[in-house]
Amino acid sequence: MAVDNIVYLIPALPVLAFVLTLAFGKKLPSGGGYIPILAIAISCIISILAFLQIHETGIPIEVSAHWFSVLNVGIFIDPLASVMLLMVSFVSLLIHIYAIGYMAHDPGKPRYFAETALFTAAMLGVVLADNILQFFISWELVGLCSYLLIGFWFRKPTAAAAGKKAFLTTRVGDVLFLAGIVILYSSMRAVFLERFPAGIPDGTYLLQFSTIFENISHIDPTHLTIITLLFFGGAVGKSGQFPLHVWLPDAMEGPTTVSALIHAATMVTAGVYLVARTFPMFIASPAVELAGITIPATLTVVAYIGGFTALFASTMGLVMNDLKRVLAFSTISQLGYMMLGLGMGSVIGAAAVGFAMFHLINHAFFKACLFLCAGSVIHSTGTNDLREMGGLMSKMKITGITMLFASLALAGIGIPFINKIVGFPVGTSGFVSKDAIIVDGTYVFAHMTHDWIPFAFGIIAALLTAIYTFRLWFMAFTGKPRQERHPHESPATMTGVLSILAVFALVFGMLTFVPFLDFVNQTYDPEKINHLAELGGNPILEDPMHEIHHIVDHASPIIILLPVIVGVGGLLLAWMIYNRRWISVASIGNMRNPLFVILAKRYYQHEIFIELISLKFTYGVLALTSEFSDRKIVDGIIDGISSFFIGGAEVLKKIQTGVVQNYATATVLGVGLIALILSFRGVF
Amino acid sequence: MDYVLSLILFIPLIGAALTLLFTKSRESARIVAFTASAISFVLTIMIYLQFESGLAFLEFQFPEKITWISSLGINYQLGVDGVSMPLILLNAILCPLTIVYAWGENKLPNQFFALILVLQAGVFGVFMSLDFFLFYIFWELTLIPLYFLISIWGGPNKDYAAIKFFIYTHVASLVMVLGIFALYFSTGVDTFEIPVLLQAFSDIVDPKIRVGIFLALFFGFLVKMPTVPFHTWLPDAHVEAPTAGSVLLAGVLLKMGGYGLFRVLLPMMEGLGPYRENIVTLMAVLAVVSILYATFAALAQKDLKKMVAYSSVAHMGYVMLGAAAFNYMSVSGAMFQQFSHGLITAVLFMSVGVIQHSVHTRIIPDLGGLADRMPKLAFLMMAGFMASLGLPAMSGFIAEFMVLTGSYLTLPVYALLAMLGIVATAGYHLWAMQRAMFGSYNEKLGEPHDLANFEMIPMAILVLLIILFGVYPGSVMEMFEYASTIIPGVMI
Repeated sequence: MAVDNIVYLIPALPVLAFVLTLAFGKKLPSGGGYIPILAIAISCIISILAFLQIHETGIPIEVSAHWFSVLNVGIFIDPLASVMLLMVSFVSLLIHIYAIGYMAHDPGKPRYFAETALFTAAMLGVVLADNILQFFISWELVGLCSYLLIGFWFRKPTAAAAGKKAFLTTRVGDVLFLAGIVILYSSMRAVFLERFPAGIPDGTYLLQFSTIFENISHIDPTHLTIITLLFFGGAVGKSGQFPLHVWLPDAMEGPTTVSALIHAATMVTAGVYLVARTFPMFIASPAVELAGITIPATLTVVAYIGGFTALFASTMGLVMNDLKRVLAFSTISQLGYMMLGLGMGSVIGAAAVGFAMFHLINHAFFKACLFLCAGSVIHSTGTNDLREMGGLMSKMKITGITMLFASLALAGIGIPFINKIVGFPVGTSGFVSKDAIIVDGTYVFAHMTHDWIPFAFGIIAALLTAIYTFRLWFMAFTGKPRQERHPHESPATMTGVLSILAVFALVFGMLTFVPFLDFVNQTYDPEKINHLAELGGNPILEDPMHEIHHIVDHASPIIILLPVIVGVGGLLLAWMIYNRRWISVASIGNMRNPLFVILAKRYYQHEIFIELISLKFTYGVLALTSEFSDRKIVDGIIDGISSFFIGGAEVLKKIQTGVVQNYATATVLGVGLIALILSFRGVF
Repeated sequence: MDYVLSLILFIPLIGAALTLLFTKSRESARIVAFTASAISFVLTIMIYLQFESGLAFLEFQFPEKITWISSLGINYQLGVDGVSMPLILLNAILCPLTIVYAWGENKLPNQFFALILVLQAGVFGVFMSLDFFLFYIFWELTLIPLYFLISIWGGPNKDYAAIKFFIYTHVASLVMVLGIFALYFSTGVDTFEIPVLLQAFSDIVDPKIRVGIFLALFFGFLVKMPTVPFHTWLPDAHVEAPTAGSVLLAGVLLKMGGYGLFRVLLPMMEGLGPYRENIVTLMAVLAVVSILYATFAALAQKDLKKMVAYSSVAHMGYVMLGAAAFNYMSVSGAMFQQFSHGLITAVLFMSVGVIQHSVHTRIIPDLGGLADRMPKLAFLMMAGFMASLGLPAMSGFIAEFMVLTGSYLTLPVYALLAMLGIVATAGYHLWAMQRAMFGSYNEKLGEPHDLANFEMIPMAILVLLIILFGVYPGSVMEMFEYASTIIPGVMI
């Protein structure tokens, strides 16, 4: 059990790298960038060892120690955490290597590498946490790094503003998440006080995942639904789900490597991971009645928010001209798919976790690839604007081809039905995992519940995804160059990383689909999940994987083909519009078309969130009113009291004439008055 | 070790006398002053390491007792327990660091450093006194040095601020002293010993008198903390005070108010009888109003220092909330919030002081892009701001988490209301950072110098301590925890 003793190094080494890079980075070559690379490489190797051990023994790795008060710190690696761990450490390693080339000319390199090392440590901390508080703590540190790295070029006002926006928007979700933890603690305490009336035994950590999962059935169902909805609120913030997605497109102000690492591949998936990690709680949360309002079961909320986000974000992706923003909206949209997949758990049970996680991992590869390709393009053309690009294929072959592969994955291009013959699905990784969510998830959901809305979200969003993805690729790499620039291919550290990621984007899905699901599905005990689903009023399939196959096998072929049809259709449409130019969109794609204006203005979210809620309400109403009342009313009363005394003293000062006769008169009058009063009251 | 508390207490006073009377130059004044506070610090560390939790309620370690005015039952009596020990440590840490930070003080340096030492002694006295009479003397003693620090070394409106600070808190102290006398006379125990009076409190027959005493003491403490609506002296005092004064005012003086809650009022909770619910509601309302109101007021401030002052009011609201919720988790969280806020706010005021010193303004819209010229400041200030907005792995988060989780157990609605302030808290911190530190450098500000070593070292030590206590709250938290579990009537 040697791995158990060294798993703490997985997050500890990047922390050490952070400290060393911060302290000595300036004096080292490449800003000390090799320190985090070495540290993360070792973390990655330990993660692989941990994976091998769990895969072999089937027993999760658990290490825990007392922290303070009623809290513990610990590491918990089960199949779910293990795959996430592999992905985070591996993608992070690749992006660090890429950054050596990409950041070569930036004077802030030491700060950059220190912050990305800290980010990696925090993200690994999220994955490894064995209790919800530690999860939250790492989650917040991830948010800190995101803030710092978006604002990395802090001299640029837009970067500073974007960092702040990201932090505050996700903070809204974080407060909900924290409230969920606070309520969970109280509920768990109630459960344990009932079980142990004499007092909760020492060494019981109420926020530890294993303790929580064992006691879900005792938690009050109304509380459970509230807690999981609050947790999901946190996930909505971090994973850019509607309506807290507004920060993510702006987050592209940071270096492109940051966009790739944090705002596409890893951090933004933390919300998805949160739902997957606490999935037993989610599936056990029923629809409840609260103060006369019916709150739907949490997984239903997850499904609808996720599906809507997938569609909503892809509409905006259609009209963006900034290369990175298109990718940002596609990230939001793909995260929506993952949430949609998790939401299908109300029918397919824990199989939903497998599908969503599989899409998460595949997405990490192809999205990191897309962003790094974008970085390569921006690095050489010096612009983000798609309208200024064109014809780059001839100058940047490797970037062009790798980006094409990743785009095919994003658009979900593959060959359906072959899995019947060869035993595994054939297509890009995005095809394999997105198809699983749409067909094995939403279609089965529709089949069982006759609710076709999630399926419709999935299909329409898939069509739009294919269109905007290839709009981007055709505009950048084909046609005539639209600007007088001299693009050149990027150095080998960059193209090497691109090639590795592109290979993953192409084949990872095909090769690992079956074993991946087998492995991740070991995370939760099916019997327990069935029991919890019953508590949550979720009518899940008895043996999900088996029954899903059965239902899908009997489905109409058009259902199975539909995701690919819309994918290829979208690709062709984009080809005709942006490559061949057979179809002109100028008649609808202009500012006279109200629909286009809404999309280009991103549904006026800036106006609503920034100008209305933040500036007009929070600052204009709440803050200025408090400030005014503080100066004029609260302090005004104090000053009033003091001027009363000062004024009174002024009056009294005048009485002090210094003339003895006046004093004598006053004394006589006063004594007389007192005598009068007392005589009235019958004293004399 | 018999008189170690007296040593800790009187060495700064002796140092103050030496600094004031016998030092001729700035160099000698600051060295003498630093030495005195450093000796106190070393002695404090010694008793801190020897301190053992485990004594019963109202039993104290390192006790000292000398009869003073026997006819009235007044003694010179000192002692520490888990409520006071970490706060004594906080005072012992902050004062020498403040002296180092003020290393460059040019104006009347010997008087300046002497006043800081008197302030330190007064605060030590408050945290150590086990006799109400002595407690009151030290309580009032702290006013005098700060009054002079503001009125001599203060900003343009210093006279108004100094007198407002003095009269406001003095009036509150008088109300508190009425409470003390009422307690003394109505219990009839003929002694001012705090433990004896606290135990005798519930023997007072008339519950109305008990509530009256409680409220009188409460008023004294809540003005000191301060709690909205009795807080307006604080922003004015901070705006005019020199940086060292602000650091100690927010860092340790406000903690006296919170300390009063834990030392005197919480042990009385059981004795409030039928009025307890009302008192708890009053405290909870004041706490939540302080948190939200001060947070939004901070958002509106243009003066960076005033913003930090309002953030103190909001953070002290958590102390009140944790006390009101009265279970051991919330109370120990509230105690830890006092300790943590002392460290954090010191970094914030030091940062603001450096900005003021170096570009001669701290009005946020006039600043801009300072991180470009002052990267060391930007780094430490960012750490301080992050700690202040409650980032995990820093001490403030531990405190706020304990307070919120604990408060939810007994006062769920108030705990949830308090959480509404969290986003706005992050908002004003980051907005201020963005406008003051980031963006392109405002050339009108001239050529500022980055942190001098004597400024950087105390700030860096404080940041390290904030992270240390945020990652491992350790013995400080254990002391608070034990101290709060033994308060009579507290929910475990």
